[in-house]
Amino acid sequence: MLRQQGIKALPYIISAVMVGTVTVLCLLLNGHIDPANFAVIYILAVVLSAVWWGMWPSIFTSILGVLAFDFFFVHPLLTFAVSDLSYIYIFAGYLVVGIVVSLVASRAREQARQAQGREQRTLVLYRLSRELAASDSIEEVAAAIKKNTGELLECSTAIYTGRSNELFLTAADADFPVDEHERAVATWVLVNGSAAGALTRTLAASKGLYVPLKTVQGTIGVLGLYKWDNGVYDMEMIEALSSQSSVALQRAILAEEARLADRAKENNRLQAVLLNSISHDLRTPLVSITGALSTLKQDFDSMDPEVRSEMLETAHEESLHLNRLVGNLLDITRVESGTLKINIKPCDLRDVIGSSLRVLKDRMENRKAVVDISEGIFEVPMDFVLMMRVFMNLIDNAVKYSATESVIKISAAISGENVLIKVVDNGFGIPAKDLERIFDKFYRAEKPRQVAGSGLGLSICRGIVEAHHGRIWAQNNPAGGASICMELPAYIKEEKHGK
Amino acid sequence: MENKPGLSVLVVDDERTIRSFLKATLKSKGYSVSEAKDGATANELTASLNPDLVILDLGLPDMDGLDVLKNIRKASNVPVIILSVRDDESDKIAALDMGADDYLTKPFDAGELLARIRSVLRRIQPGTADTVYKTGKLTMDTARHQVTIGKEPVKLTPMEYDFLKMLVISGGRVVTHKRILKDIWNRDEETDDAMHLLRVTVSNIRNKIEPDPNRPVYITTEPGIGYRLSEEE
Repeated sequence: MLRQQGIKALPYIISAVMVGTVTVLCLLLNGHIDPANFAVIYILAVVLSAVWWGMWPSIFTSILGVLAFDFFFVHPLLTFAVSDLSYIYIFAGYLVVGIVVSLVASRAREQARQAQGREQRTLVLYRLSRELAASDSIEEVAAAIKKNTGELLECSTAIYTGRSNELFLTAADADFPVDEHERAVATWVLVNGSAAGALTRTLAASKGLYVPLKTVQGTIGVLGLYKWDNGVYDMEMIEALSSQSSVALQRAILAEEARLADRAKENNRLQAVLLNSISHDLRTPLVSITGALSTLKQDFDSMDPEVRSEMLETAHEESLHLNRLVGNLLDITRVESGTLKINIKPCDLRDVIGSSLRVLKDRMENRKAVVDISEGIFEVPMDFVLMMRVFMNLIDNAVKYSATESVIKISAAISGENVLIKVVDNGFGIPAKDLERIFDKFYRAEKPRQVAGSGLGLSICRGIVEAHHGRIWAQNNPAGGASICMELPAYIKEEKHGK
Repeated sequence: MENKPGLSVLVVDDERTIRSFLKATLKSKGYSVSEAKDGATANELTASLNPDLVILDLGLPDMDGLDVLKNIRKASNVPVIILSVRDDESDKIAALDMGADDYLTKPFDAGELLARIRSVLRRIQPGTADTVYKTGKLTMDTARHQVTIGKEPVKLTPMEYDFLKMLVISGGRVVTHKRILKDIWNRDEETDDAMHLLRVTVSNIRNKIEPDPNRPVYITTEPGIGYRLSEEE
């Protein structure tokens, strides 16, 4: 126990008053009863004093009582001289009774005090544990520890967390000393796992008291306590606080590690998907090209001319496919890295769509493209080349997901301040749950048959459309098939000064 | 149209496989082919061999292809076709402004390359004093100032006629915005209103001559660069 116990005068004064009162009472009773019985009345004062204030006041009361009894009631009267030896036994009896009663009483009092302390501590620790349970991150846990510890121990507080002998100040009161020396002490505590600093035998010259926050895995942090008046601490309380804090801090650290691991896993997964997708998508056309060419090389002369030209056609088609794929990879890299150069100028929308269709002429096979641009739409502000990429991707998708001989409709109409452009197919449509996600990189909707694609096209489109301050979304048509819709500003907005 | 046999082509490219593929393609069409694998050799051979056509890659190991082009243009008017992986409009415009006759992005279609070669060679072939040009159903008779689609005469405004004539005379080569604005409207700058005028003109001609103006086959757009008269049908 470090609690200060200054000698207090009040119990002795009250004891003296009690002895005086008993003496007056006895003087009044004198003559009515035998003075030997007064000894019992005096012992009342001794017992009370013992029960209320403990051993020393009770011994003081015994002596004072014996002296008063001797002085007023033992012959010769009004002297401290004793003629009858039997009174000596009464003195001894007083002392023994006083000491025994005071010991018993002081133990009872101590137990009561401890019980009360325990209750208070339990309450505080309960509150701490509730706040700790509600805290998720290391920072929140540290802040809860700081607040509760500071209130309870009436000191300013700092929480350091430690990883591999390195200290991180996670939470601290503004007036907590965090200079180099104090930090060194905290580091020592982290490394050695025992308390140090003020009021301890180790590094006692420091301002703060540093207590390790320990778990079975070792020391995970340091609790720093600082009292500017150099007061003492309730060590039991510190013990209880630090063990509870350690558990909470450990939980937060583990949770944080789990979160980081999850994120790393997700990144790894994305990377794996990326690699998988790219290598698969690049290899698929290459397989056809290599296959067709190696067959041609080997059996060129013996081959049926029809088969020969079919093979050449395959190789050629697949090489174009490969080229589109590489173009898309380059585009997504530009979109993602923010190096997309965009040059918005008025463009003949019909020309943009027509040029896109021209490039994809062979890709359409027997599908029919219908272009329907509302009267009144001529020039729309856009980047000609980039919007061609958008249309080419959308038309390519429509081709992929619709049967040959089907119709792909491209329409444009004015919608308020915007131009609403739609690329409509009558293919399989898009599962409702995928309508949003198909614009995510590498995401591909579930589909009724295997369709080659990288899942890049629509995310490129979104990147480009958003760079035009427009938006793009997908919807299913009531009559079947899907529509990709875009809304682009119909007019060039006045550029604000100062880019 | 047939080539005069023996026209010589200088292929400048640092990739051996591309040179050999170009050589094979060109030889099969009757051209004689010489090769240069870097800019220095290209400069040397253009001077010593005096080729009828140069096919020039921009990414050369020792210098930029544009510098080779600049060098060639100092001394010669030989047709140059740029063949490059650079597909940025600004690269294409820079090359065309510097005197390249046309530009083709790698990877390219051999048929398209041969068509471009024929177009640029037409520029230097004398004796084509024809005043009647035909592509598909489109006929332009510059002597009679007449444009017909099939048998149907097409009424063009003077601006539209001048524009179409410019493309027709260029014979399939790309014509840049800059040149069009300069030649037809006498504008030096690609101002917004000049470009607007150009787009309106092109759109109107397409409405008059294209079978489907939504998907033009005669006047095709080179995004960000200009227009060309397409030879395909």
